[in-house]
Amino acid sequence: MKGTYLGEFEEVVLLAVAIRSGDAYGAAVTSEIEQQMGRSVNLGAVHSALHRLEEKGLVNSQMGGATAERGGRRKRLYSVTIAGKRALEEIHQLRNQMWESIPKTAWS
Amino acid sequence: MNNKEKNHFHPPPRWLDWLLERFCAPHLWEEVQGDLHERYQLRIKRTSKAKANWLYFREALSYLRPSAFKRHYSPQPSFADMIRNYLTIAWRNLLKNKAFSSINIAGLALGMTCTLLIMFWIQDEYSVDAFHTHKNQLYRIYERQFFSGKAQGVIWTQGPLAEELKEEIPEIEMATAFSWTNYQAFTVGNKTNKQGINTAGPDFFKMFSFPLLQGNVETALKDVNNLAISRKMAEAFFGSPEAAIGKTIRYDNRKDLIITAVFENIPQNSTLQFDCLRSWEAYVQDNEWAKGWDSNDPLTFFMLRVDADPAKVEAKLKHFTDKYIPDPNKTFRTELGIQPFHEYYLNSNFENAQVAGGRIKYIHLFTIVAVFILLIACINFMNLATARSAKRAKEVGVRKAIGAIRSALTGQFLSEAMLLTILAVGLSLLLVFVLLPFFNSLTDKHMTIPVTNISFWGIVAGMTFITGLLAGSYPAFFLSSLNPVNVLKGTLKFTSGSLWFRKGLVVFQFALSTILIIGMIIIYRQIEYVQTKNLGYSRENLIYFPLEGNLDKGYGILKEQLSQISGVKQVSHITESPASLNWGTDGISWPGSDPTNRVRFTPVGVGYDFVETMNLKMKEGRDFSKKFATDSTGFLINESALKAIGYKNPVGKFLNWGNHQGKIIGVIKDFHFQSLHTPIRPLIAYLRNQHREGSIMVRIETGNTQRTLSEIETVCKKLNPEYPFTYYFTDQEYARQYHSEQVISRLSNYFAGLAIFIACLGLFGLGSFSAEQRAKEIGIRKIVGASVGQIVLLFSADFLKLIVVAMLIAVPVAWYAVNEWLQGFAYRTEISWWIFVLAGIVTLVITILTISFQSIKAALQNPVKSLRTE
Repeated sequence: MKGTYLGEFEEVVLLAVAIRSGDAYGAAVTSEIEQQMGRSVNLGAVHSALHRLEEKGLVNSQMGGATAERGGRRKRLYSVTIAGKRALEEIHQLRNQMWESIPKTAWS
Repeated sequence: MNNKEKNHFHPPPRWLDWLLERFCAPHLWEEVQGDLHERYQLRIKRTSKAKANWLYFREALSYLRPSAFKRHYSPQPSFADMIRNYLTIAWRNLLKNKAFSSINIAGLALGMTCTLLIMFWIQDEYSVDAFHTHKNQLYRIYERQFFSGKAQGVIWTQGPLAEELKEEIPEIEMATAFSWTNYQAFTVGNKTNKQGINTAGPDFFKMFSFPLLQGNVETALKDVNNLAISRKMAEAFFGSPEAAIGKTIRYDNRKDLIITAVFENIPQNSTLQFDCLRSWEAYVQDNEWAKGWDSNDPLTFFMLRVDADPAKVEAKLKHFTDKYIPDPNKTFRTELGIQPFHEYYLNSNFENAQVAGGRIKYIHLFTIVAVFILLIACINFMNLATARSAKRAKEVGVRKAIGAIRSALTGQFLSEAMLLTILAVGLSLLLVFVLLPFFNSLTDKHMTIPVTNISFWGIVAGMTFITGLLAGSYPAFFLSSLNPVNVLKGTLKFTSGSLWFRKGLVVFQFALSTILIIGMIIIYRQIEYVQTKNLGYSRENLIYFPLEGNLDKGYGILKEQLSQISGVKQVSHITESPASLNWGTDGISWPGSDPTNRVRFTPVGVGYDFVETMNLKMKEGRDFSKKFATDSTGFLINESALKAIGYKNPVGKFLNWGNHQGKIIGVIKDFHFQSLHTPIRPLIAYLRNQHREGSIMVRIETGNTQRTLSEIETVCKKLNPEYPFTYYFTDQEYARQYHSEQVISRLSNYFAGLAIFIACLGLFGLGSFSAEQRAKEIGIRKIVGASVGQIVLLFSADFLKLIVVAMLIAVPVAWYAVNEWLQGFAYRTEISWWIFVLAGIVTLVITILTISFQSIKAALQNPVKSLRTE
């Protein structure tokens, strides 16, 4: 397994997969990110991040759910693995911990 | 937006899809395109089409990243991986079944060795006369002669023809006459040697590519006293070509010639062979008759202009001689024909005055033999591979079950065949290298492996490929067609079709071998027949030597002195030589002969004791005798001549030869004075008591040949000190006429032997395979009481049936083929039934020996061994 370091964009993608749980495929994940972040995101970049996440074992995937607007092609549906969930929790915890550690004086 | 419009699918720009499909990894393609399309549909609904297209373009191009075209998830291994796997498996199989592999490789290697050797031979045959730079412009002239209702083609032509052609036909750039080789004495100082001399016109060295070491092509044969000699001759007389140029050499002890050119030794693959060349003009000076149009003597060659059309020239030439031969009511009509110079060697026969093959027949014959042998070897391979497919079937089943497609399996078995073929080719090249010197001595050639010739390697590569394909095709298609379910369940049964096919191949193989064996026996018998046939005279112990120098004038003394030698029985002389008389005349007439349809006679001038020296039989009358002075105008004729003339009581009747009239004094029983390719022609013999020429014949006694010969030499030397003594044995010279047949006979012996050997190799393999397969059956049979003999019989019968069928097929085909071949001989051996029986028995015996080795081995096996495990 490759290093489990999670880049910023990867983190966002992983979060989006978690949000769209059950229907997380390339296009859906991309529009989720676009909606949440309010900026346009490149589909290719998302795909590439999803693949990296899969290699790291943070998500897994299976094919399914063809629709008409896809020209009858199946989607690759991603879901967050336990390792993925743990990675997200770790990051969340780390952020919280750091947030808590900011001295009150910093804002004054 | 109504429902219909909502669901309407808007196709994105197709070229982008196309482009993306090129570089995107196949396993990613479906999801990527699906996602792209989905977003496109969304955008087209929300914004304009142009914007959607533009965004589609940007997103599509964003897949130009390594992660998108890395194909590491690909389930298909690469082509190189597969080939490597095939070769590994092939190599393991090869090592696992050493016996079969070596049979396969040895068979193929032997087959290919034969094919390669035959190919060398054919190439060498085609290279004859092909080395001239102007090869495609050089032609030879032949004459079609029409007489007595017959047509014949001859290559000799009229003396003045060459010069006249140059004058009259503008397309002909150069032309030369070329006389036949004479062996004459040459002297420099006290050194005398006999050398083959020809004469040719001044254009000769300009037309033909015989490079000059000294002198130049323009002046080499300009004057009558010029002589061009070979490097060998220059070295023999003067030490070196440089020393020879400009020197004087004495010719035939009567003329001094100046050496104006030295040419490189004539290569072996030239049909023109000579030690030295004199100018044609000088020949005409010596032989007045060569000036005229009424006799045929030299060959005529010409060179066309590069742009000339040979067909037009041939048309112009057809009646070219008519205006030079004035006789209006000709009974002997002639036409001229042309033949490309380099084609003559392979096509030197005439039939009905048309060029009709020659050695080319042998080339065709051996091409067929080469193909046959290679086929037999390939069939071995196919048979062994399919027979053993039961062993490989499980492998095929497993491969198929895990997803191998049929074409991949075909590829596997083909590449396996290729591997074996390549090994066989390597081995055969080695064999060729070792055998070539032997093959050279067999065929009297000087062939080498053209290692530096790219086209040779091209041919070898092509042959490897074709053989591999041929040998591997059937097993490949058969094995790859197996049904994996049946195979893995263990219920593999050969369909009757594939069994028949295998049997058919064996039959085909043995039919080919039997044809070759029959052919071999017939060729051998014909050669034997020719060499032992009673020719009507006895050619053993008859020597002859050229009548030259003082031997004509001193003939009386010579004969007297020779007769005193104890080993000498009779002495006489003959124009040309006793082994071959080739002259012709149509000047013979008799009361009642048809002036418009003259019979062509072979004239021969002889001395006293001619009949006795040759050991001829008289049918009527007597030989020439000194007791009758009138005999000097008398004639002896042979039976064929008598038949043509039709006299009832010929002796004492008259014949006219031109303006001469002479009496027939005797009739000789027919004898063969030419090779057996031609029928016996009418012969007329006359007494030639002056201007004798040709050969002196001496009949000697058996035993002490060496002493007799040396005494004859002493006598000749005394009379003819300027001339080295050269003699010939008639029987040897006679045999030389069949030289090419002897070579063919020897070659066919070897090749037929090899063919049957290769076929038996295959049978050996099949036999051992079926012994292995039927081990249990044999075990059970033995347990219930079968004897070894019964098992051997059971075992052999299967194969013998096939061999018998093969022979039934082979016999008519072989009969047809050898019959065709024998048509080339005027006198030929019979094709008797016992030859076919013999060939059959030979094949059968060899087969039985081959199979019985395996079957006896199988029958002697202890049944416990084969039945122990189940």
